[in-house]
Amino acid sequence: MSWTVINYSAIGTKHQEQGLPCQDYSNYRHYDDVVIGAVADGAGSAKHSDVGAKLAVETTLSFLSGTEQFQKDPGFAQWSKKPKKVDKPPPNQVIRQLATDLCKKVLTALTEEAENMDCQPEDFNCTLLVVIATSTWFAGIQIGDGFIVVRSEDQNPELVFKPDKGEFANETTFVTSEDVESQLQVKVLPPQKFICVASDGLEAVAIRFSDWMAFPPFFQPLEECLEEETSQEEKEAYLQTFLESERLNQRTGDDKTVLLCLNTS
Amino acid sequence: MPVGMPEFVENPSSRCPVVLLLDTSGSMSGQPIEQLNRGLSAFLEDVQKDEQASLSVELALVKFGGSPQLINNFQTVDELQAPYLSAEGLTPMGEAINYALDLLETRKSNYKENGVQYYRPWVFLITDGAPNNDSPWQMAADRVKQAETEKRLLFFTVAVEGANMEILKQIAPSNRPPVWLNGLDFRSMFLWLSASMKQVSGQKVGEAVELPPVSGWAQIDT
Repeated sequence: MSWTVINYSAIGTKHQEQGLPCQDYSNYRHYDDVVIGAVADGAGSAKHSDVGAKLAVETTLSFLSGTEQFQKDPGFAQWSKKPKKVDKPPPNQVIRQLATDLCKKVLTALTEEAENMDCQPEDFNCTLLVVIATSTWFAGIQIGDGFIVVRSEDQNPELVFKPDKGEFANETTFVTSEDVESQLQVKVLPPQKFICVASDGLEAVAIRFSDWMAFPPFFQPLEECLEEETSQEEKEAYLQTFLESERLNQRTGDDKTVLLCLNTS
Repeated sequence: MPVGMPEFVENPSSRCPVVLLLDTSGSMSGQPIEQLNRGLSAFLEDVQKDEQASLSVELALVKFGGSPQLINNFQTVDELQAPYLSAEGLTPMGEAINYALDLLETRKSNYKENGVQYYRPWVFLITDGAPNNDSPWQMAADRVKQAETEKRLLFFTVAVEGANMEILKQIAPSNRPPVWLNGLDFRSMFLWLSASMKQVSGQKVGEAVELPPVSGWAQIDT
């Protein structure tokens, strides 16, 4: 096992007061050398965005690990079937194409579910953050707000994409947005030691807006938690305690999700 | 567990800029200006009751009677006191709209420089008249429409009895036509504005705002 991965979603206090469900969702797949993780934040204004967030994440994971794409392209390992080393970082274009295909898959899944539930795809509005991490390269995909922060060996944590907020504090892009392909952000980077993917509920406490700097004292304890020689359950309990803490709830009433990966090889 | 908890970065709270563009020309004298003053006080009082709104809503007051005049530059409502407005002079409506739009652009640059997040600005025009003959109101109207089309602001037009509705219809963006104020019920109008501001400033990112109905104070001109 070369990666330690944990994730947790905590419902926002405002959502609790209004009797809304937690509209964030995250999950990951871990194959030997490779981690694929996804976080989605359902829009408060969309009727079934909790369903949308979960469906978007699960569709993403099954698509990316389903190897359809990777079987076609010998540059990729068939991760889920026969894990092997993925040596060379893929060109940015390849990941962009992958992200575009992913958007279509997600939209198809949401549209089908909308028919089942007799509602509109927009009722599933959510953002989507995706990371693909191997020991030799890293790729991030972002639709809408929230953030991906990474840290490579001996460096400070860095924001992969500037949060996509449009001009105003209450605007963002969703996977169902018409212009999603032009709005989606994609980046391929050298291998990363530590990865933090989070929904926008944590932006204001983790990122300094004046220069979009990832705040090291926010990320350092999270990374330390993964480094500790503790069980997976204990690590998850730590993350849960933090995300449900009174101190954090005083700063945001929104749902909060964190997915953390540490390369331990 | 031996690890400490994450520390938080301090970011300024998101701001919600609002420009009140108030017609204080001579025709507003008497009851209209008195009611406008009272309504404005009620507005500030009401917003101040909501801590989040009073720290987020930044209000600029521009009056136009004679010439556009800045009574109050953008300031959070928690530290604002209601001014006393008196009515005199003509109605340089076009100049006043241009002034307000410029003021907003300056404020937005300030926000950007200081890393302050902000909501879509609101401009609230309240008038009982028509622009002066020499006022560049068509140009101002074009700017308003363009800004609305580009979703850079929300422009509301409130006509007080005596206003030239035909011209106001040309100024207001087509998706948000001017409304008649019920009599001189500025108080209800401002309480609606306050309720709307509370909603906007408390709203979650990505959420569409559902404003309270305007039926309490406005009549849609058909």
